Amino acid sequence: MIEARNISVAIGGKRIVSHVDFTARPGEVSAIVGPNGSGKTTLLKALTGELAYTGTVTLNGRDLSAMKPVEAATLRAVLPQSTALSFPFTVREIVRLGLIGGRSGVLPGEDARLPERALARVDLDGFAGRFYQELSGGEQQRVQLARVLCQVWAPVLEGRPRYLFLDEPVSSLDVKHQLIIMNIARDFARRDGGVVAILHDLNLTAMYADRIFVLHGGQLAAAGTPKDVLNDELIEKVFDCRLKVGALPAGNTPFVLPQSAA
Amino acid sequence: MAEQSIAGAPSRAMAADGDRSAWARFVIALLCLALALSVFMSLTSGASDASAVRVIHDWFTGAVPSDGALAARDRLIVYDIRMPRVLLGVLIGAALAVCGAVMQGLFRNPLADPGLIGVSAGSSLGAVAIIVLGTTWLAPVTLALGTLALPLAAFFGGLAVTLLLYAIATRQGRTSVATMLLAGIAISALAMALTGVLIFMADDRQLRDLTFWQLGSLAGATWPKIGTVGPVIVLALAAMPFLSRGLNALALGEATAGHLGIPVQRLKYTAIVGVSAAVGASVAVSGGIGFIGIVVPHVLRLAIGPDNRYLLPASALLGASLLLIADAVARTVVAPAELPIGIVTAVAGAPFFLWILLRKRGVVDL
Repeated sequence: MIEARNISVAIGGKRIVSHVDFTARPGEVSAIVGPNGSGKTTLLKALTGELAYTGTVTLNGRDLSAMKPVEAATLRAVLPQSTALSFPFTVREIVRLGLIGGRSGVLPGEDARLPERALARVDLDGFAGRFYQELSGGEQQRVQLARVLCQVWAPVLEGRPRYLFLDEPVSSLDVKHQLIIMNIARDFARRDGGVVAILHDLNLTAMYADRIFVLHGGQLAAAGTPKDVLNDELIEKVFDCRLKVGALPAGNTPFVLPQSAA
Repeated sequence: MAEQSIAGAPSRAMAADGDRSAWARFVIALLCLALALSVFMSLTSGASDASAVRVIHDWFTGAVPSDGALAARDRLIVYDIRMPRVLLGVLIGAALAVCGAVMQGLFRNPLADPGLIGVSAGSSLGAVAIIVLGTTWLAPVTLALGTLALPLAAFFGGLAVTLLLYAIATRQGRTSVATMLLAGIAISALAMALTGVLIFMADDRQLRDLTFWQLGSLAGATWPKIGTVGPVIVLALAAMPFLSRGLNALALGEATAGHLGIPVQRLKYTAIVGVSAAVGASVAVSGGIGFIGIVVPHVLRLAIGPDNRYLLPASALLGASLLLIADAVARTVVAPAELPIGIVTAVAGAPFFLWILLRKRGVVDL
C-alpha cells in the first residue's frame, strides 16, 4: 500500500500541491486526473521521492524519505513523462538499465532474457538492435515502459507488492498501443501489484481505473471509483468544460470509444 | 535530422540484437595489444641509440654484457629516463581520457572535458601558485607538505572549479550545457588571469619553467615524481569502474537514475572528486595536455557504444597509447630538440573537436 498524508509541494516559493491525501492499494489501478497545471506530475514526483515535500509518504508501511534509493527501486518503478537521452544507446541497452538497481524478481539466470520479453510486451519485438534516438516518440515511450517493467517484472516480490508509477503513459501513443499499455497496467494490478497512473483520457480512465483522484489547483477535488467521481458537475467544475457523462453525440456523428475494443 | 547523425556512425560496429558487449570486449583486447606495442615503441626509440631490447633481454636472462660501460649507460637511459617517461605517459594518458569520459557522463554531454571547461585551468592556477609563491607567501604550505604541495594544490584548484561549475550549471537536477560551457570559459579566463598575475611576479628562472610546464610535457618524468602522483592517479582511476553503472543510468537523467536505485548525489561527488584528483595530479606533473579527454571517449563511443562499463577501460587504454604516440612525435619531429606534447595533442585534437561540432551541429543542445 502507498499512503500519502497531507502532501504539500512548493517549487520556487509557489505552492503547487497542497494538503493532498492519497492512497494506492495493491491490486488496483489508481488514476490521477486533472487539467493542465493542476499538480498531477508534481504530486507523482513527491510520491516517488523526486521532489521535496511536506507530509508523509509510506510504501508498504515504510517511510519513503528514510529509504535508500536502491530500497525504493526494488519496491517501485517510475515512467517519466518524457526522457531525453544523452548518448547513442541501443534499445536493448536502455531496457537493460531497468535491471541495474532493483530486482526483477525472475530467476537469476532469466534476467538476461528479460529485455526481450519486456520489449515483446510493449509490442516492440525485434527493436532491440535499433538506436533509441532513431525511434518515433511513441516507440521511445514504449521502450521506456519496457525498461520500467524490467525493474519490477514480478508484481509481488517476497510477499510484498510492488508499484508502477506512470506519468501519462499513453500520451503519445496510437489507440492500439494505448490499449496494449493500459492492459499491461491492469494486468500488473491483477497480479497484486499496484499502479499509479496520470491519465488525460477520461474514457480510458473510466475503463481501466479502480480509483480516481481528481486534482484541481493543487488540491484534491474528488476521490473514488469512476462511477462516483465522473459526473457532469465535477467535470464542469474541474475541467471548466460543460460535458455530459454518458451522452451520445447528436445525429449520426461517428464516435469511437476505447470501451468498444474487442 | 539530428537523430540520424548521432546514431548513424556506430551502427557499423554493432550486433543486430543491440548487444555490443562482446564486440566491446574484443576492442578492449585489441587496445591492450596496441598499448603494449606503444610501450615497446616508446622504450626502444629516443635521441640516443640505447637498446632497450638488449637491456630488457639482459635483465630477463641475467646475462652479463661484454661491454660493461656501454651496458651501464644503456641501462641508465632505459631505466631512469625512458621507463619513467613511458610510465608517466601511460598514467596521464589514461587519466585524461577516463576523466573526459566520466565528465561527459556526469554532464550528460559529449563535449564536457576537463581541459575545455576550466578544470585544468584551475589545477594550473593551484600548481603555478606553488611554483611561484612556494618560497615566499606559501612557504609554510610547501614546508608542511613537501613534494605533495604541488599535486595537492593542483587537485584543490581543479576541485574548486568543478564544484563551482556544477553548482552554476545545474538547476533542479538538470545540467545546462550552454551554462556549463560558458561558465567554464569565464572561470578559465579568471583562473588564467590569476595565473598571469603569478607569472608576472615570477623571476626569470621560474618563468622559463612555467612556460614549458604550461605547454605540457612528459620531459620531466622521474621516479620520485611518479611516486608522488602515481598513487593519486591509480587510486582515482581504480574508483572509476564503480561509477560506470551509475553513469549509464545518468544518461536517462538524474531523476530516472535515482528511480533506478542509483545514489545519484554520492555518484556525482565521487566522480567530481576523482576527476579533480586525477586531473590535478596530471596537470601538476605534465602541464596542460589538451584534447585527449574529448577525442578518445568520442572515438570509442562510435566504436563500441556509450556503455561506461566498457567505455572507461577502453578510454584508459586508448588514452595511454595515444599519449605515448604523441610523445614519440614530440620527441622526434624536431630532434634533437623536443616539442611540448601539449602542442602535438592540440594540433591533432583541435581540428578533430571542430569536426565533432560540425557533425553534431543539430544535436549539441546549446
